[in-house]
Amino acid sequence: MSGNSLVLPIVLWGRMAPTHCISSLLVMDDFSTIITGCHDGQICLWDMTPDLEICPRAMLFGHTASITCLSKASACSDKQYIVSASEINYSAVMSPDFLVSLSCPLCLSFVVLQFYQFPIGTQREGRLLCNGHYPEILVVDATSLEVLYSLVSKISPDWISSMSIIRSHRTQEDTVVAVSVTGILKVWIITAEVSRMQDLDPVFEEESKPIYCHGCQSISFCTFTQSSLLVVCSKYWRVFDAGDYSLLCSVPSDNDQAWTGGEFIAADKVIIWTEDGCSYIYKLPASCLPASEHFRSEVGKTEEGSVPPLIYRIADHSDKQLLICPPVTRFFFGRREPFYKLLIQGDSAGRLSLWNIPDISQLQVSSTISLQEAFDKLTPVSAGIIDQLSVLPGKDEPIKVTASVYIPSQGRLVCGREDGSIILVPATQTAIVQLLQGEHMLRRGWPPHRTLRGHRNKVTCVLYPYQISPRYDQRSLVSGGVDFSVIVWDIFTGEMKHIFCVHGGEITQLIVPPENCSVRPMAHSLLCLQISYLLGFSGALDRCVMGITAVEILNACDELAPATMDALSHSAVNLKQAMTRRSLAALKNMAQHKLQTLATNLLAADNADKGNLPKYSHNALVVQAMKTNLTDPDMHVLFFDVEAVIIQLLTEEAQRPNPTLVSPETLQKSQAGADKGGSFLANKIFKQVKETMKETIKEHLLDEDEEEEEEMRRREEKSKSLSLLEYNLTMDTAKLFMSCLHAWGLNEQLDGICLERLGMLRPHCPISFGLISRGGHMSLMLPTFKESLLRQLSLATGRKLTLSDIVGKGTYGVSRAVTTQHLMSVISLANTLMGMTNATFVGEHMKKAPARPPRPGGTPETPRRTVATPPQPSNPALQAQIKQGWSQLAAMHCVMLPDLLGLDKFRPPLLEMLARRWQDRCLEVTHTMCRASCNITWFIFFIKSVFL
Amino acid sequence: MLNPQRSLSELPKMSAASQVERAVLEEEFNWLLKEEVHAVLKQLQDVLKEASRRFTMPTPGLESQLKQENFILGSSTMDQVKGVLTLQGEALTQADINLKVTKSSQVLHFQFREDKQWKLQQIQDARNHVNQALQLLNSRDESYHFKTGAEVNKLMDAVMLQLTRARNRLTTPASMTLPELATSGLMKMFTPPMPGDVMVNFYINLSKLCLTVYQLHVLPPNTTKNFKPTGSSVLHNPGAMFELNNNRFEVSHVHKVECVVPWLSDTLVFFTISLQLCQQLKDKISVFSSFWKYRPF
Repeated sequence: MSGNSLVLPIVLWGRMAPTHCISSLLVMDDFSTIITGCHDGQICLWDMTPDLEICPRAMLFGHTASITCLSKASACSDKQYIVSASEINYSAVMSPDFLVSLSCPLCLSFVVLQFYQFPIGTQREGRLLCNGHYPEILVVDATSLEVLYSLVSKISPDWISSMSIIRSHRTQEDTVVAVSVTGILKVWIITAEVSRMQDLDPVFEEESKPIYCHGCQSISFCTFTQSSLLVVCSKYWRVFDAGDYSLLCSVPSDNDQAWTGGEFIAADKVIIWTEDGCSYIYKLPASCLPASEHFRSEVGKTEEGSVPPLIYRIADHSDKQLLICPPVTRFFFGRREPFYKLLIQGDSAGRLSLWNIPDISQLQVSSTISLQEAFDKLTPVSAGIIDQLSVLPGKDEPIKVTASVYIPSQGRLVCGREDGSIILVPATQTAIVQLLQGEHMLRRGWPPHRTLRGHRNKVTCVLYPYQISPRYDQRSLVSGGVDFSVIVWDIFTGEMKHIFCVHGGEITQLIVPPENCSVRPMAHSLLCLQISYLLGFSGALDRCVMGITAVEILNACDELAPATMDALSHSAVNLKQAMTRRSLAALKNMAQHKLQTLATNLLAADNADKGNLPKYSHNALVVQAMKTNLTDPDMHVLFFDVEAVIIQLLTEEAQRPNPTLVSPETLQKSQAGADKGGSFLANKIFKQVKETMKETIKEHLLDEDEEEEEEMRRREEKSKSLSLLEYNLTMDTAKLFMSCLHAWGLNEQLDGICLERLGMLRPHCPISFGLISRGGHMSLMLPTFKESLLRQLSLATGRKLTLSDIVGKGTYGVSRAVTTQHLMSVISLANTLMGMTNATFVGEHMKKAPARPPRPGGTPETPRRTVATPPQPSNPALQAQIKQGWSQLAAMHCVMLPDLLGLDKFRPPLLEMLARRWQDRCLEVTHTMCRASCNITWFIFFIKSVFL
Repeated sequence: MLNPQRSLSELPKMSAASQVERAVLEEEFNWLLKEEVHAVLKQLQDVLKEASRRFTMPTPGLESQLKQENFILGSSTMDQVKGVLTLQGEALTQADINLKVTKSSQVLHFQFREDKQWKLQQIQDARNHVNQALQLLNSRDESYHFKTGAEVNKLMDAVMLQLTRARNRLTTPASMTLPELATSGLMKMFTPPMPGDVMVNFYINLSKLCLTVYQLHVLPPNTTKNFKPTGSSVLHNPGAMFELNNNRFEVSHVHKVECVVPWLSDTLVFFTISLQLCQQLKDKISVFSSFWKYRPF
């Protein structure tokens, strides 16, 4: 549910798994999903098979600080929600079903959350009990996260270290038992009246008893005997009678071990774990067992009893990587078959380890995997955005990308790497190489790119200042590195223009001063480039100002451009602009969650929009570099704005001379018109091309400043000869997008049509999509998701499948929201393409932007320009075939998909999402059929854009 | 000291000189992890123990044995309000407030009821945060061998987080709305009971124990004055308005008196010193960060 715009992310993770230093973990009740939260604020979902194999599936982005606690937030198994709490006053309810659904900021940070269902009348309502850096326990509604009431201490109130909820079968009461930091045990009884309370009247404790447990780590109730409590403190663990809270036994830790938690695993056995990741299973002494005649025999004795027999010791794995902080250990019970008792540990290296603890003393299964291992196992390896350009001969690992920026106006991605080089590459082309199969696989060094060499070590930041403010030269690209230098490049020629070295430290960030900043020496006639760079250690602010007088005229021309833009009163353009604004707003929402670099780009886009610059033509695709931790290399997310793609396609279609009308005469006429510079259509195309390619030629000024223009054009020509391959960005984006979205492998015949007639390409392996949700949260599928998918499908079909067999089968079984977005995207795009002429991704017209009329004036044409209009496959039969292809594709996704996939692998679209969309947009939704199957009534919609 | 730029530029070549330099650096880094880190941690622990000693931790059952301290709160510029407060650990056990009402020059006198005491949550929170920081440090004594710089950084981050929180609790008192203040338990603690047109608030600001007294007047229901309830704030200004039980009030006078609590200023100094120590240790580690590539040290 991406606000009001349909933006689909596709992620290229690269080979390095993101840093995932686990801070909390949770196993869902059905034991099929493990959820881990990390210190950087991401949440990872892991699939677990019945034989305890684990595989990471997706990563949720939303929190900006360390996740302190994860808890389930609903009791029913069909709608599984979890709550995550982070350190900075923020919690979110989300569904592990890939969809981040609801979030609310809270004024109190929750350190620990526990889900519990309190009885309200005959029903039980989901509540969360929260304790943190405050003396109360807050009782919070599990769905709205609204604080209902609080449990307060009358006697020496202090922070609560840990708590446990006990449901007594004898009294049918719910009791909350907690230990405060000063070692006082507190008991609250939650009666039905209490849980019905809505106002904030505090509930006072029923009992308060000093038990002298300082540094209490955990408290747990024995569910087997219902009569004892285990309290684990860092230096000892103790068992208490759950009735009168008298001490039954106390066991000190030997040597320097610090206990961090424990749990009953049987009526007479406890498992206790330490800070360094070891776990110990102890047999409880007879004095702690209600079944024994010696029960409570030790009560009142002051000296410490003997250490009970240690049954088993689960050591940390021998090949343990270096950990940077203590691992998190938890114990979970299976409530249904096969009644697993699982000890789970997550550590700072993103590793999950599982031990299945059977009733007999021998340990059976244990499995362990880290995110990086899961990534390493993948074949083909998880693709990074420019991996094909970064693997040096003789080396396995690609050079890591350390900083990147996307220039939407040119569709180019700039990647700074750890060896100090900077790569400029067309984003769609490189993404096609990484994601899709095709003839490009045979070419070396494809796509054409440019390497800028200047830094002598890791590039730490790159900035394209023009994106942020039009007062900068659009040729300039600035980069900073750990070699203390800042370099200004000309991106068109690839020339290093300036290098600044400051003996202050590594460059950590490049910032453009805001528009209204007082240091801005913006004279109208002068184009200034100024960079403030904050230096790593000193924190000193330095400033470099330099004027490039040569481009002064260019700048003046740029200022004229918006005015001429407005003159274009074509409705499509206005619409287009409107749409872009909306999508930008959605993107702005996204920026709220600190995906560090994200802000820069969006700010840029936003500013550009304000400056009324014709940026819209490329915002269909935004490439955003992300990292979960500062030490990670960049991974890249491609954000496709479906509406922007459609609008761009339609705009280009509107500007293309209708091929059915093109006869030699009309062609000549239009050329003649262009020669005179008077034809509206030609003029418009002219401008469009100019925008598309982001060139600075001001040909419309030719009449006035002939000579100047000549000179400028020559320069431009020169730079052009060095520039990258020309290609039609819109069509390329659509090609990439459609190829990723199509459900391959379900209909052989259609696949063939897609490949040959429509020019789509088949992905190498299932693609990692993502989902943007309300509040700017995002979930991204990890590349390893396909492993568990493969396993699942192989099991279902009973034969060994390869990754290429399941391309396209994965995404429709992920979640209903994903299905909805993907279906809407693929159908509306197919419908758009159906209405276009020559809407195929093969052929000459893909090479460059749409029709560009010959230049006025007598200069010789460059070969690129000789083709005035794309070679028209004016053959109506061929056109009809293409149209038919698109319509078949739309039909397959619209109607046949559930049948082809099988209902168990298809999550039906969310009706409310479709309906909302229909309300939001002037989309004509034709309700074609309605049928019931498997108790799910679902509707199939034809979504047809009104723009068709 | 080393010259990072030079050695960095030579890194790819790996000349003999840089090899030697790297070896030296590695040795230096090992020394840092083995010796220096523990020295700093010891120092940190000592400082924090001192800080923690200032916050006397109540032992269950023995709260009454804590030392009592009296503070006289006053202001040099005005004498309308005078207060004598008794602080025992984190709780105010006695309070005597004298308020000279401006209109009638009548002196009102309030004190805490015998059975009541007022806990200063800020002090308790700061104490708990310091103790948590200490716990983090205790688990890493001399016998622990740090293997990576990242490990040290992580520990320092955790300690610094607790210390910053401890400091912030003392430096930023809770901001409350006037209705919240009026309904808080503090109003019910006094004998004789507070009249409806007086409100008090206690809080810690930096190292000072502060007492604010608000004098209110009821706005007539049909007043022409623009009623606009004020939001939450630590200190409300005269003219602030609020509504409670269908009555509208306006703050007519605000009196703020304060007194420095010496041991709180000590703890604030300790916090600053320890934060500085943490940051310096992190800086020492980061000097070496450039010599290892990703997931470096």
